[in-house]
Amino acid sequence: MAEFNTSVKDQGDVSIVYLNGYLDAHTASVLENNFSELISKDKYKIVVNFKDLQYISSAGLGVFMAFIEKIRENNGDIKLTSMSDKVYNIFDLLGFPLLYEIYRSEEEAVKKFEEIKKLEK
Amino acid sequence: MNLSFRLKHNIKLQLFLASAGILLLYKLFFFTEGSFFSRFFNEAIVFFTLLFMTSYANDVFSEKKITPLSLVMNLGILSAVIFIAVLFSDTLLPLLFGKITDTLKNPDLFFTFISFLYVLFFGAVVSYSFLILKELYFLKRKKTGSIYFNTMILFFLLASAATILNLFPDLSYIRNTFFIISIILIIVNSIKISWIAFITKKEKLSLLPLSVFICVLFFVNLFGSSEDNSHYQMLTGFSSALAQFYSIIMLYGGIYFAVLFFTTLFHIPTAEAFDRKAQEVSSLQYFSRLITRVLDFNELTETVTDIALKVTTADAAWIAWKYDDLLKPIAQKNIGFVDAELINNYLFKRKNFTEPSSSYTESLLKFDKKEQLNEQYTSVIVEPIKTHNEVRGYLVLTKKDDFIFDEEDKSVIDTFSDYASVAIENAHLLEESIEKERLEKELDVAREIQRKILPAKDPVYEKLSVSSVFIPAFEVGGDYYDFFEIDDNNEPSKFGFVIADVSGKGISAAFIMAEIKGIFESLSKTIERPKEILIKANQILKRSLDRRNFVSAAYGIIDFKREVVSIARAGHCPLLLVRDGKIDNIKPAGIGLGLNYGNRFNLSLEEIEVNLKENDMIVLYTDGITEAKNIDMEDFGETKFEQILLENSTKTPDEISNEVIKEISQFSKHNTQHDDITLVIFKWKSQTEKDLKNLKTGEKEWQNSTPQLKTRVM
Repeated sequence: MAEFNTSVKDQGDVSIVYLNGYLDAHTASVLENNFSELISKDKYKIVVNFKDLQYISSAGLGVFMAFIEKIRENNGDIKLTSMSDKVYNIFDLLGFPLLYEIYRSEEEAVKKFEEIKKLEK
Repeated sequence: MNLSFRLKHNIKLQLFLASAGILLLYKLFFFTEGSFFSRFFNEAIVFFTLLFMTSYANDVFSEKKITPLSLVMNLGILSAVIFIAVLFSDTLLPLLFGKITDTLKNPDLFFTFISFLYVLFFGAVVSYSFLILKELYFLKRKKTGSIYFNTMILFFLLASAATILNLFPDLSYIRNTFFIISIILIIVNSIKISWIAFITKKEKLSLLPLSVFICVLFFVNLFGSSEDNSHYQMLTGFSSALAQFYSIIMLYGGIYFAVLFFTTLFHIPTAEAFDRKAQEVSSLQYFSRLITRVLDFNELTETVTDIALKVTTADAAWIAWKYDDLLKPIAQKNIGFVDAELINNYLFKRKNFTEPSSSYTESLLKFDKKEQLNEQYTSVIVEPIKTHNEVRGYLVLTKKDDFIFDEEDKSVIDTFSDYASVAIENAHLLEESIEKERLEKELDVAREIQRKILPAKDPVYEKLSVSSVFIPAFEVGGDYYDFFEIDDNNEPSKFGFVIADVSGKGISAAFIMAEIKGIFESLSKTIERPKEILIKANQILKRSLDRRNFVSAAYGIIDFKREVVSIARAGHCPLLLVRDGKIDNIKPAGIGLGLNYGNRFNLSLEEIEVNLKENDMIVLYTDGITEAKNIDMEDFGETKFEQILLENSTKTPDEISNEVIKEISQFSKHNTQHDDITLVIFKWKSQTEKDLKNLKTGEKEWQNSTPQLKTRVM
């Protein structure tokens, strides 16, 4: 079975989740746990880095849908970055660019969060 | 009971009755006969009568299940019966017959008869007492005859028989010698009472006063019969040997119970330890039997803690079981959940906690929250439960009030937890295999649902050739496609089609499929714009779709009259238009169904219209095709897919789809199919031979038509 794992890094009040491997119906729970934990710690500013993700299935996409509402209610967001063309294509087909902010690099996404923070002040 | 046994049994009874009859007759005629020979004859008949009676009773004995305490109780009752009988006869006999010694010299019929019954009664009681003493002797011993015991019986008989020699006072030393040897043998045989070790402490405690009481009764019975009491005179007068035997047995009983008292007394201090060991052994035996029977995990953990308390001196027990790396208390025994959790957290949630893989004991003196406990537990013993060398949890036992766990406790719990680990592992393996079977059943159901949902066969039209292929993955992938015909005056005027892929897999995906089939089936009848249909479908799905589920779909309608196909797409793979040796993606914008239920979805949807030309091919597929993997986990890919379509574009849709499937299976032959594969190919033939051949609608003859002939517009 294909492997999947994640790691989480905090940068300021933004949490960056790194995905690695194959995200499908069998491994989706790993990412789900990551999101649940972040939410339980009131961390709603989340950047997901797809740099090392090989593949994402529909069940993997469902994980983002499961949490986005709760996160946005708390003035947070999930921003997606660094996708390979193949992974981006999957997101694109489903219309995710209309629903999520997708950036080329992690820095851009983090910067976006910081800009919003400045505006709020 | 087999026949030969019953026969023997009956013969014994008959022999007894016969000898008793002879005895009675003899006594009727020769009661007062005093010669040595007649005395000998008398004693011999008495002996045989008792022998047959005893052996008859012995058979009855061996059939019953006996426990030491019931034997003791029986003896107690017997000695009490003798005591009361002696008491009665001492007062009653003189009233009836005056001085017995005088009556014996001139007995009448009534006296002979009464004394016969009297002797028979005492003979029976004494023999029975002897039998019980014998059973007690052989209890928890090998049944092979003991030389000491047999010798003792021999001397009992010799001592009894020697009473015949009372006629010759010079020879009384023989009788006395036999009697003394009998006493010595009684003492020797009474010393080793091995069954005492096997009874519980409680039984031992009740045995103490009982043995004193019975001992006293036997001695009273022994010494209460002397030369000048009627009972003794009666027995001696009838048979001096029996009187002697009576004395010997009373002595035996007295000595045996005196010894029993002291033996029990000496066993009392070790009784508890012995009880505990016995309890351990029987609990472990019980537990190992249970392992094969109890397979439910919860029931098993309850049993484990239950038995753990029985085999140790602990006050409370629970299991700290690992759930997602957290050790939570389950199956608490004699302790509230709150207490168990407090101690549990103290034991396993410390910063420097590392999983111990062997047992250890710990004092709770340093436990900072011990004031919060309802009961003051002072020490714990923690025993890992391992399966496949992996720690799955811990058995925790705790004690109150300054008692600590000793080495013996620890070794018992070590053994016990090994048993528990095996049992729990068994339960888990079974659960896993049941779960696996359940999943397979579930997938069977899901595949069956899917099979019934998908169209049974491809529709056939004059202008449109349809070919569809569906290959399910082992885990149902949630692919769905369908065709809808829209009739106008009984003529097919429009043709609707849908392809969709439900997120997720298995039975849940199959249920969503069933639902969207219903939605599209009904919408196709009322709405004739693909975009409207998808918007409506999205609204309906809002009510039922879980947040993390969504459906990618594409819906199209072919208008046979206008020769136009209109297509809307909600997140699905683009449709392919194969025309003049080139491939175009038909990819109207649109978000997947269920990803957004607001205006964003509605606004995102586009609808594209394509005018259909001769030999145009429209290809619908799901990502099962492009994402089919080879052994190196590479995708089959769009490029390869399109290439095959182009190379075969002149063939019929059936032939083309065969070609595609062939290539895919070739590509991914060393890898399993992860997702459903769906491929639908439409080929447009506006020119048919219908005018020439006057063929009926719905036949596939268009394939041979010549392009020059233009069909009548439907």
